[in-house]
Amino acid sequence: MAYFRDDQEVYAFIGRLFRELADDDELGPKFRKANTIVQYQYRNPDSQITVKMLDGQDGEVDVGATDMEPEVVMSMDADTAHRFWLGKVNVTVALARGQMKAKGPVAKILKLVPLTKPVFPRYKAMLEQAGRSDLLEI
Amino acid sequence: MSAFPDFYQFLAPTRVIAGRGLIEGTGFEFAKEGAHRVLLITDEVIRATGLVDAVVAGLQDGGVEPAAIFDGVPPDSDAEVVKAAADHAHAEGADAILAVGGGSVMDTAKLAAVIYAHGGEPRDWEGYFGLPRADDGMGPPAPLPPLACIPTTAGTGSEVSFAAVIKDRDEHLKFQVADFPMFPRLAILDPESTATLPPAIAAATGMDAMTHAIEGYVSSEANPHASAYALQALRLIGANLERAVADPGDEDARGNMLIAADLAIMPTSSGAIGIAHSMSHPAGAHFDVPHGVANAINLPWVIEFNALGAEEIAERYRDVGDVLGVDARGDGATVGHALAEHVRGVVGRLGLPTRLSEVGVPESGIPVLVEGAMGDGCTLVNPREPTEEDFAGLYAKAL
Repeated sequence: MAYFRDDQEVYAFIGRLFRELADDDELGPKFRKANTIVQYQYRNPDSQITVKMLDGQDGEVDVGATDMEPEVVMSMDADTAHRFWLGKVNVTVALARGQMKAKGPVAKILKLVPLTKPVFPRYKAMLEQAGRSDLLEI
Repeated sequence: MSAFPDFYQFLAPTRVIAGRGLIEGTGFEFAKEGAHRVLLITDEVIRATGLVDAVVAGLQDGGVEPAAIFDGVPPDSDAEVVKAAADHAHAEGADAILAVGGGSVMDTAKLAAVIYAHGGEPRDWEGYFGLPRADDGMGPPAPLPPLACIPTTAGTGSEVSFAAVIKDRDEHLKFQVADFPMFPRLAILDPESTATLPPAIAAATGMDAMTHAIEGYVSSEANPHASAYALQALRLIGANLERAVADPGDEDARGNMLIAADLAIMPTSSGAIGIAHSMSHPAGAHFDVPHGVANAINLPWVIEFNALGAEEIAERYRDVGDVLGVDARGDGATVGHALAEHVRGVVGRLGLPTRLSEVGVPESGIPVLVEGAMGDGCTLVNPREPTEEDFAGLYAKAL
């Protein structure tokens, strides 16, 4: 059974995390050095988050439909995304396993992976504050 | 006793045949993979050696028709060449592709097979596992035309891997395409195919293979399957690399190095690799340092760095030392230094450069190299997690 009931739950947690990162004074500028637009296409439940990380511009996050044109598209189960933000997924291995599929210049995204480690506790805390400790049982 | 792993995946679907006199049986073997009319992809240098003529004769002898020979692959192949090769395959009515060459030729052939089957431009397929699949992308991938490879260097292992790295000359970058159908169906390892390999290239590509094996064995993603391949690769490399370079007429050594290169690349199918590669990729991209040369220079420094990370990592290096005949007892620092010195000795005897500064890397280039290494996928599976400062220190030592 999938962790998230519907796309709205995906947006409430993973979407919110992306928005917080885009607005983060310390991490936001680092992520924007990737200088790309990445779209995360999730399955189970079907959902989509598009993140603009362009150097020198404000970050922008669209959940669901978007007018932004992504340079990189990452597709995966929403469960895989959830487990990633809990620090339980190695991206390189997930790519090798086919759990994540990537279209476009993936190196731009891999560059960001080390930056995400400090975010894992933040995601966990967000779930706990929302009373969703059940989502921590993975 | 090691714990049972949470997960790993190991892939080795390419049929490998190794031995003498196999070139003349190319058609007999490739026909088993469904080839009838073949586009042969190579480069002008290989074609001039006469090897391609022997391969063509071998195809015909087995009842396989050579549709055409495409010999326009440059050392760093690019998207335009890939497209031209795929167009050639269509125009000549080929139903299969045969690569005869080094990594650039084989990677060109892999991506040409993708374009041949699915159309589009090469960069349309950039990424991982993005080829068309049944069941809304979740089912089996659509097949590609049969692809066979006859490697003419012993190093990249591209003949048994599922990735292709190609240059986009307009954008001044290299891009990667990787998916399961890109595994060649057949790899033919015959020492005749490396008979004219210059010693300097044999040395550099051989060190690439050694780096694949050592990094694959100590990676955070190492697993029993990958480790078995890596250690056997190292045994063969230890026994044959210097021989093959010192005496290009040593057919046994050349043949064994072809096998070793195949075995050495296998851990990468599990994602097992490391930061010598992370450091070498940007050195190639920014300063045109040949990949094998960069690995030969970077590997010893990375060994010393990693061996200090944890006792479990040092233990893996002890295994490597055992296989290579290095006295690798003691703590991490001792083990790392002993093994690194052994590798430096091999590199020196092979006549390869031992410093990045010898191959055109300036000190001012370190920041851009560090940025590239931090963003390289290989960094994520290194046994010891490096910081930007660590990479800067490693590059400074390697300079």
